[in-house]
Amino acid sequence: MSVIASPSDQPLGGGRAAAEQNGQAGGMPLPQGRRRTELLMLAFVVGVVMFAYANVGLGLNGKIPAGMFVYGLSFAALVGVAHVAVRWLAPWADPLLLPLAALLNGLGIVMIYRLQESGRGGNPGFVITTMSGKTTAFQVLYSTAGIAAFVAVLAFVRQPRTLQRYTYTLGAIGMVLLALPAVLPNSISEVSGTFAKIQISVGGFTVQPEEFAKLCLAVFFAGYLVAKRDVLALAGRRVLGIDLPRARDLGPVLIAWGVSLVVLIFEGDIGTSALFFGLFVVMMYIATQRSSWLIIGFLLFLFGAVVASELFAHVKDRFLVWLHPFNYVHTIGFQTVQGLYGLGFGGVLGRGLGQGQPYNTPLVQSDFIITAFGEELGLTGVMALLLIYGLIVQRGLRAAIAVRDPFSKLLAGGLAFTVALQVFVIVGGVTRLIPLTGITTPFLSQGGSSLISSWMLIALLMRISDTARRPAPQPIQDEGMTQVVRAG
Amino acid sequence: MNHALRRVALISLVMFVLLLVNVNYVQGFEASSLANEPGNGRTFTSTLQFQRGSIITSDQKVIAYSKMNKAFGEYQRHYPEGKMYAPITGYDTLFSQTGIEQTENKELSGSDPALAVHNLIDLITGKQKKGATVETTINSAAQEAAYNALKQQGKEAGVVALNPKTGAVLAMASNPTFDPNQLATLDGKQLNANDQKLLKNPNQPLLNRAINVTFPPGSSFKVVTSSTAMADKGINQNTSVFAPTQLKLPGVTQPLINFDGEACGDGSGHVPLIQAFLQSCNTVFGNLGLRLTGQQLQRQANLFGFNNPKLTIPLPVTQSNFPLYTDPAMRAGAAIGQESDTVTPLQEAMLASAIANQGALMKPYMVDKVTAPDLTTLSTTQPTVLSHPVSPAIATNVTDMMIQVTQNSQGTAHISAGLQATGGIVIAAKTGTAQNGINNSGLDDAVFTCFAPASNPKIAVGVVVKGGGQGADAAAPIAVAIIKAYLNAVGQ
Repeated sequence: MSVIASPSDQPLGGGRAAAEQNGQAGGMPLPQGRRRTELLMLAFVVGVVMFAYANVGLGLNGKIPAGMFVYGLSFAALVGVAHVAVRWLAPWADPLLLPLAALLNGLGIVMIYRLQESGRGGNPGFVITTMSGKTTAFQVLYSTAGIAAFVAVLAFVRQPRTLQRYTYTLGAIGMVLLALPAVLPNSISEVSGTFAKIQISVGGFTVQPEEFAKLCLAVFFAGYLVAKRDVLALAGRRVLGIDLPRARDLGPVLIAWGVSLVVLIFEGDIGTSALFFGLFVVMMYIATQRSSWLIIGFLLFLFGAVVASELFAHVKDRFLVWLHPFNYVHTIGFQTVQGLYGLGFGGVLGRGLGQGQPYNTPLVQSDFIITAFGEELGLTGVMALLLIYGLIVQRGLRAAIAVRDPFSKLLAGGLAFTVALQVFVIVGGVTRLIPLTGITTPFLSQGGSSLISSWMLIALLMRISDTARRPAPQPIQDEGMTQVVRAG
Repeated sequence: MNHALRRVALISLVMFVLLLVNVNYVQGFEASSLANEPGNGRTFTSTLQFQRGSIITSDQKVIAYSKMNKAFGEYQRHYPEGKMYAPITGYDTLFSQTGIEQTENKELSGSDPALAVHNLIDLITGKQKKGATVETTINSAAQEAAYNALKQQGKEAGVVALNPKTGAVLAMASNPTFDPNQLATLDGKQLNANDQKLLKNPNQPLLNRAINVTFPPGSSFKVVTSSTAMADKGINQNTSVFAPTQLKLPGVTQPLINFDGEACGDGSGHVPLIQAFLQSCNTVFGNLGLRLTGQQLQRQANLFGFNNPKLTIPLPVTQSNFPLYTDPAMRAGAAIGQESDTVTPLQEAMLASAIANQGALMKPYMVDKVTAPDLTTLSTTQPTVLSHPVSPAIATNVTDMMIQVTQNSQGTAHISAGLQATGGIVIAAKTGTAQNGINNSGLDDAVFTCFAPASNPKIAVGVVVKGGGQGADAAAPIAVAIIKAYLNAVGQ
C-alpha cells in the first residue's frame, strides 16, 4: 500500500522533534508546507485551462474567444485568492488538492462554455435548449462562491476536532436539508422532466440541498461513530460468524440511515441514495475495522436495488437500459445511447474541443458531462480526468492516515471515499459499467450547489491534512545530548 | 483505523481501475461498432460535413449529387430526376440507406480503403475530402422509357432491362415509387414526417418491385421447360409433341386445359414444339413436365438463376423460387409456371438474356466503375459469366421459337410486339399470364420476357405487371417501349 503513504510522509506528530533532528543529520527530510509547489502547479492549471478555452473558440469558429483575457484573469485571480488563503490559514496543507480541484473546476467551466456555444457563432449544430447564453457566466459566479466557501471553511474550522462538538446539530441540519425537497410542493422541488424531487427552486434560483446534506451527515457519522466505535466493535453478539452490535448502540445510526434512504426514495434520486449508503457503510467499516460491515452493506444494497427495481418503474427502466440500451434507442435509453455514441465518436484521441457533437446528448451539461469530455478529448482526456479524481481521493486518504485524531481520520476517510464513490456512480453510469443513476460529477457538472459543496469538501480535507502535517511546537530549550558520565 | 483506511484506499483503487478499463473498452474497442450502430446521428452528420460522391448513368447523366446547404452548413443530397431513378439510387438517411447509396456507401462517402491515399493527399494539401463518383450501367433513354411506361400503365409492376452480352443493367423501374428527395431533407422533423408517410403508405412505394418482389412466372416459364426437354429428352423445335386439348393429370380430377380451352395447333393431338411454344399450349408443356423429373426441371431452373439467395447486382436480389416437385400433377403445373414458381422481373430478364447470349448467362451488375475525385478510376466491373444454362444449339432453337411468338400471326405477342408495334425491330419473346388468387379469382399477372434485335441481341427485358391481365396486353408494350428507346439511342 505504498500508494497511500510513502515513508517520507509518514512520521508526523509524535516523533516530530526527533525527525527534525534526523533531518538535519541527513536522514529524513524536514516536512514542508510546499506552498511554492502549489503555486507553480496552480500557474500550470491556469495555463491548461486557458489553452483549453482558446481551443474551444478555435474549434467552434476559428477564433480565439472574445473575453479570453477577462476569463483568464478572473480564473487566475480566483485560484490566487484560494492560494493566499491556504498560505494564511492552512500553510501545512497538502499542496496537490487545491491545484487538482482548480483544474477540474476550470475544465468544467471551459466545457460548459463550449456546450453553451453549441450552434451559436457559426458552428453548425443544435442549440442546447436547456442552457442559456448566461450559463457560463453563472458557472463562473458559482466557482467564485465555491472558492469563497472554501476560504470560509478554512477560516472557521481552525481545528477539525471542533466540528465534533456539532455532531448532533449537523446531523439534524443534514436530515432537514435532505427531507426539505420531499415535503415541498412539486412545483418548487421537482426537476422538470424527471422523477427527481431534489431541489428548492425559488425565483429562478435553485439549490440542491442534498449536496450540503452530504457534508453534514459525513460529520455526523464521524462524530457519532467515534464516540460509539468501541461499543460497536466490541459489545454485542456473534451471529453466524458476524459480530452484531447491540441494538441501542446501533439505533440512532440506523434511524439516520433509514430516514435518509426513505427520503431519497420519496425524492426519486437513487444515485444520491446509493452515495449516502456507501458513505455510511464505509465509515462504519473504518470506525469498527470489521469487514463484515462491508459485506452486509453490499448485500443490503443489492437487495435494495432489486426491490426498488420491482417497486418503481423508473428504477426498473434504468436496469433495462443498462442491459439492453440499443433496444430503447428512441425511448428510455435515448440519453444513455447518445452518451455512448459520443464516447465512441471521440475514440482514443477525441474530436477536439468544439469539434464533436455533444449537443446530441440530452442534459449533457450536468449528469453526462463526462461523455462530452470523452467525445472531444477522447479516451485520453477521460483517463486524465479519472486520474485527477483518483489523486484527490488518494491525497484525502493519505491525510486520513496521517492525522492522529480519530474523528479527523474518520471524517477525512469518509469524505475522500465520497469523491471516489460519486465519480464511480456517475462515470460508471454513463459508460454503462453500472445502471445509470443521476448524480453530479464533482467540479465538472453545471450547477452551483455541487460546485460549492465540492469546494467545501476540499477545504475540509485540506484542513485535516494541514493538522496532520503541522509540526509540533518547538521545544523551548534545547537541552543537548544526554551525557553519560563515567564514574571512576 | 489505518488498516481499514488502507483497505478503503484499495477499494477506491479497484473502483477507478474498473472505470478506466470500462472507458477503454467503450472508447477503444467498442468505438467502431458504436459508429456503425444504425441511427448514430454523429456518424451520419459527420458524413454531411463533406461532399458525398455523385451517382451517374453510363451516358454521364447525374442522378444523385451533394450540394452545400448554407442554412444548415451541411451537404444535402439531390436527386435531379426524382422518382425516375429511385429504385437505382435508393436514398441516404440517418436511419437507413437503400440502393446504390447503401451498397456503394464506402466509395460515395470516401471511407473506402482505396480512397485512403487520396484522402491523405487532400488532408496535406488542405483540400476538402470528397467522395468517389459511382458510374452505373444505366442507360438514361432506356430508364426514362421504363419509368414512363410503368407510370402510364399505373399498376403495380417492375421491369429490368439487361445487356445480354455483359449482364449490365440498362434500366430498372418499379411502380409505385417514391421521390428520394423527400428523404434528403436536412430538417429532422420534415424528414421524420416524410419517412413515416412513405412507410405507412399501403402501396409500399419504397419497395423495389424489379428485384425484391416475386410474382408467378406463368407461361414465360415455358422457356425453361423447353430448354430442359431439349437438353434431357433430345428434342428440338421441330419435334412433334403430344398436344391434346385436355391433359389428364394423375390423381387430379380437373384436366389441364389450354387458354380458353382452345385446341393446340390443328387439334390433331400432335404439333411441332415450335407451334406449341408460339401458341403457348399448356397441355404440351404440362405433358413435358410429367415426362421430365423434378430434378431435371430444378437443375435447369437453377442454371437460369432460380433458387439463388445470394445474388447481388450489387443490390441484394430476392430469390426466385422453383422447388423440387415430386408429385407429377404439381410438376405439370410447375412446368407451365404455376404452383409455387416465383420470379422477380430481373429473373425474367435473365431468362431472355441467357437465350440471347447463346446460352451463357452473364451476371447482372449495375455499377460500371468508381472514379476518385481526381478522376482516376478506382475500380471497374468486369462482366462475368454466371452460368451456362443451355448449349448454343438449344439457345438457337429457343430463339427461333421466341421469334415466332411475335412474328407468327398465331403468336401470343404478334399484335403487341410484332413488326408493326416495334417499327421494324424483330423481338424474340415469351408471354406469361399467371393465374392468381384463390381458385384463380384474382386478376392475372402479366409477364413478358424478351430480347432484341433477335439477330444481334443488344437488350433483354423482363416485365411483370401485377393484375395486368394477359402478358401480351399489359406487359409487352412496356418492353417494346424500352427496346425502341434504347435501340434508338445506341443504334441497331
